[in-house]
Amino acid sequence: MTALAFVLPTLLYLLALSVYPLFYAGWQSLNLSNLFNPTVTHFIGLRNYTDLFEEDFFWISVKTTLVWTIVVVSVELVLGLALALLLDRKLRGVGLLRSLIIIPVFISPIGMGLTWRFIYEPVGGLGNWLLGSVGLGESRWISSTETALPSIMIADIWQWTPFVALILLAGIQSISPEILEAARLDRVRGPIYVFRIVLPLIWPVLLVVALIRLVDSIRTFDLVYIMTRGGPGSSTLVASVYDFTIFQAGNLGKMAALGFLLLLLINALVVVFLRALSRQERRTRRAARV
Amino acid sequence: MRSPLRRTWNVLAVFVVATWLFPVYWVVMTSLKADRDINTATPKFVFDPTVNNYQEIFERFQFGKVLINSFVIVSVATAITITLALLAAYSLARMRLRGANALALVILSFRFMPGVVVVLPYYLTFSELRLTDSYTGMVLVYVAFGLPFAVWLLRGFLLDLPQDIDEAARLDGLGRLAILRRIVLPLAAPGVAVTAIFTFVFNWNEYLFALILTDARALTVPVQISKMIDAYSVLWGNLSAAVVLQLIPMVIVVFLLQRHIVRGLALGAVK
Repeated sequence: MTALAFVLPTLLYLLALSVYPLFYAGWQSLNLSNLFNPTVTHFIGLRNYTDLFEEDFFWISVKTTLVWTIVVVSVELVLGLALALLLDRKLRGVGLLRSLIIIPVFISPIGMGLTWRFIYEPVGGLGNWLLGSVGLGESRWISSTETALPSIMIADIWQWTPFVALILLAGIQSISPEILEAARLDRVRGPIYVFRIVLPLIWPVLLVVALIRLVDSIRTFDLVYIMTRGGPGSSTLVASVYDFTIFQAGNLGKMAALGFLLLLLINALVVVFLRALSRQERRTRRAARV
Repeated sequence: MRSPLRRTWNVLAVFVVATWLFPVYWVVMTSLKADRDINTATPKFVFDPTVNNYQEIFERFQFGKVLINSFVIVSVATAITITLALLAAYSLARMRLRGANALALVILSFRFMPGVVVVLPYYLTFSELRLTDSYTGMVLVYVAFGLPFAVWLLRGFLLDLPQDIDEAARLDGLGRLAILRRIVLPLAAPGVAVTAIFTFVFNWNEYLFALILTDARALTVPVQISKMIDAYSVLWGNLSAAVVLQLIPMVIVVFLLQRHIVRGLALGAVK
């Protein structure tokens, strides 16, 4: 009984400030409701959703979000694994390196986004100066529709690769020393070591970190908003930023509808990943029994 | 035989970390530059440092007030979050609660909620209750925002402690709350500290809720920073100083608790 009493405050809190708002948002998404004229609210069923499906901007934002998520997460996983392997060594001061590399994770996306905007300044910015000094032409970075999305991706990858790396590193370091010793005696090195020994053993950790990054990338807002507001044109219009512009336009019902679609997408992803994880766990357990 | 190869890798590791941190170095340098050293045709690496930018953001952008706002809101929210989370995590990890693992997952799942979904109900409800642009409102939101992950993380740390200490304390006649406070809490102190830090950092950096739910009185640091580019031409020196001020507390914390933080990060993902 006490056990329940201890969780109850948390459950009630979440019920009031997370579950209730969710239902409220769900109800809003079925209504026509305007920020600037709150007295006129009426039920319109799924109209907000069907309206969204007929909009070009909606499909642009879906496409941008998917491209953004896929590119950013896969690059972060690959670079993160490389960085983890690089930092997995017995070197004096490696602890210092590990705590230095984590600093980007703790910077606010707002501060980070501005730092990168400054780097991308067309005149006097570090980016063009670097390109110039290796003999390449200048780029317009976030002010051209072609380079804006990749430019923001660079900033995101810069911030989150260390996060992925440190989690994978913890996974690598929890591999039993006997296995690593056996690999060393068998002279397993290089790619075979990485792909045949390390990767299979840290697979569950990799799945979890991939899930965390996927979810956070799908709902990404701060970084894109502070760097481009979704522009130029609609070249960086990810779903959350588009949803915010709908809010600014006062169309609350439609805002809630798009938010809900995002929520559904994220839920689907989480379910797929949890399935994969539990399958993995069963397999490991079966292997352990044999 | 393999020592030169190993040394190459070591040098590479140091080099990669140094390069990675260059943008941080750059924003710190920019914050110490006078405008004439910032608006140049090519980036300037040697210059006379000045603290003008720091003075200016306090004078022009009320940075003192905004820092206090953020600090009060985030500290109170973190304290409440940790208290609630500690109770819940203790129950989920160390008491015989049926369905504890499933319940832990349900609580965690709220971490995945996109902000744009719940910010609208908050906005509408808070307007009715006159909670927009108030400390209370922001604390309420940030506790809800941080609670799921804090419970998950603390549960991981508490699962790591040996189970029989509770039993021993119970035989000595201690109640659950006393066990939690006098025995479990001291043992789990590093875990609690890490959880508190993560909660603090998430809230300290949070933008979307603060952008929509605050206006003047309860303005937080990230919102004020973003407003610095809306209202004026971009003053990179001032902005950089603001970014650095926002970052400094985080860096101090990372260095004080470096080992525990890496472990906390890993725990959040592995357990």
